[in-house]
Amino acid sequence: MLGYVLRRLAVAVVLLWVLSVITFVIYLKVPADPAGFLVDMQKASPQQIAHAHHVLGTDRPAVVQYGKYMWRLLHGDFGVSWPTVVFFSGKVEGAPVGHMVWQALLVTASLTGGGFLLLLLVAVPLGTFVATRPRSLVDRLSLGFSIAAISTHPLVVGLLLQLFVGNRWKLLPASGYCTVRSPSAAAVAAWRQFAPTGSPEPCGGVGQWAWHLVLPWVTFALFFVALYLRIVRARMLEVLEEPWVRTARAKGASETRVIARHALRNAIAPVATMAAMDLGTAIGVAMYVETVFGLPGLGRTMIRALAGLQGYDLPVILAVTLVAAAAIILLNLAADLVVLALDPTVARRRGRGVLGLAGRAA
Amino acid sequence: MPELDLEALAEPRPQGQWALAWRRLRRDRVAVACGIFLVLLVLAVGPGAPLYGKIVGHGPNDLFPYAVSVSLRPAGPLTVTWATPTLAGDDPFALKHPPPPHGTPKTFLLLGADSQLGRDEFLRILYGGRVSLEVAAGAAVLALLLGIVLGSLAGYFGGLVDAVVSRITDLVMAFPLLLFLVMIGSLFTHGIGDWTFHGILNRGVFQLVLIIGAFTWFYPARIVRTQVQSLRHREFVEAAQMVGARDGRIMRTHLLPHLLPPLLAYGTLLVATNIMIEVGVTFLGAGIRLPTASWGSLLAQTWGSILNPNPYNPATTQPWLTICPSVAIFLTVFALNQFGEGLREATDPRRLR
Repeated sequence: MLGYVLRRLAVAVVLLWVLSVITFVIYLKVPADPAGFLVDMQKASPQQIAHAHHVLGTDRPAVVQYGKYMWRLLHGDFGVSWPTVVFFSGKVEGAPVGHMVWQALLVTASLTGGGFLLLLLVAVPLGTFVATRPRSLVDRLSLGFSIAAISTHPLVVGLLLQLFVGNRWKLLPASGYCTVRSPSAAAVAAWRQFAPTGSPEPCGGVGQWAWHLVLPWVTFALFFVALYLRIVRARMLEVLEEPWVRTARAKGASETRVIARHALRNAIAPVATMAAMDLGTAIGVAMYVETVFGLPGLGRTMIRALAGLQGYDLPVILAVTLVAAAAIILLNLAADLVVLALDPTVARRRGRGVLGLAGRAA
Repeated sequence: MPELDLEALAEPRPQGQWALAWRRLRRDRVAVACGIFLVLLVLAVGPGAPLYGKIVGHGPNDLFPYAVSVSLRPAGPLTVTWATPTLAGDDPFALKHPPPPHGTPKTFLLLGADSQLGRDEFLRILYGGRVSLEVAAGAAVLALLLGIVLGSLAGYFGGLVDAVVSRITDLVMAFPLLLFLVMIGSLFTHGIGDWTFHGILNRGVFQLVLIIGAFTWFYPARIVRTQVQSLRHREFVEAAQMVGARDGRIMRTHLLPHLLPPLLAYGTLLVATNIMIEVGVTFLGAGIRLPTASWGSLLAQTWGSILNPNPYNPATTQPWLTICPSVAIFLTVFALNQFGEGLREATDPRRLR
């Protein structure tokens, strides 16, 4: 078991390294001068531009830049965001990218985690229900809904929800994000005193957080719910034909117990595998949702780093790429472990070591 | 009693797989309806767009400031407006634009104006559909070509080619495709993006075709690889090898006919996915650049942009401008998905009739 996890982690490290090299090479091929972050390129003298390059570290050969970046990364330092760099008295300061990306990761995790929970809450009960009544009206309606939902772009769903539910009918907040933690009294006071008119009041707390995330969650879940509904239904139909389900019924177990205790557990095992395979797509969909609803998540951070007027914020781009990839790899590993725990036959095939974990989890 | 032609009954004419697939497809009413819709769509965005432009007498990038109210709200559907790019008068406090000089011709906007610039929304949807379909179809063809070549090499020869293709596939399938597309799309704003092949393609189309194709060939390659692996030890391949056919010939004339039907169906689904990708990448500011219309930029235009979001200020936006491109995208993707599904079932070799 431990060996398996360690091997997967070793592969993950290699993948992340390859990815960092690819991102770095792509960046070096880009015709844009990062010195524009610090000096006005139209007016600056060559010395000033050279000094700006020196401050950012972009005057060194590419290999040295990459080496220094990786060295700092190994010490947990993602560097500073280039547009925020100030250099007075020879000391270089700026917004640390690590903190930025961590905050963004929390937002993306709130969005994808909540959205995924919502979709499971819809797909598993509904899929189970229609599987027990195949070809009924509900089944056909859910099939029609699935076909339509698969063909709908998440941007379209998000924009229409924002336009009608958020802006026209004002039922839910149309955009913005609130932190889970309540804002400090000092932040609110500062907002009252100094914030320009029209800027949103600092908000926070679990209720506000969830309230602002309702539309993003619905948008996110709607894109995936069709697929999961179909897979739960198909798998459930298969499982209900199994001989051990017949045995359970023959022993006199109630239909609810047969489905909830015996069938459901087997039916939702592929959902975990599927969820892991959809993670890449999920980050993409999260990118759409974050953009539309103005959530400061990973995708939006990336786009802002890419869409800047002065140039491209390489430290942020690199950090987002690596963090997103690392999250996907780790969650894939977690999903594999969940599958092992849910389906002991897989574990038995893997060998004795795995059985320990599967037995504990069961 | 009509006389039976016993000769013809005894020897039924053998049917090719394409004839069989065509017969099955014709029976599938949903697929036929979607196919007809797609043909009409291609006609509408291909020859239809310039034709409509000629009828109403303007192009997709012509500005009609008279189609925008003083409060900067674009006109709704079925608007007749003056066809002039300049406003008469310069009174900033006017409640209504003063009319243009006498004799200015009028023009008709079927779906109204697209934004504060006052362009023809309907014409832009047609031209935008052309761009989106160009990108989607081009990228799908590129992905299929790469997939067929690399997949059949990997499946037929195995070994190093197989290992490399499989590893790259594993690597890319796990990673967020959109993140890469947006990154590459926004980093490279000049260069290949400017290639238009003497005006055949719009600016930016070729670059999107290349990057989407380069990141989606893994899936068709995977299909081809498994198919070729299961076919390459079958009798007909061994027979061909025995009479001395070279590998290239075997792959071309003996294996390819088996691969085409499933790939055709997959290609249709791929076009649908690619339309979604184009819309997304352009919306996120990394695809087709303005003023060229595409379905992604039409969606983005009313909403704003990421650095300057203007989410639906009711005073200055029309809900039409979000609904119309949304409906266009939905219908097209839906039709492609359903047609692809019908095609897949029609070409399924396991079906008997």
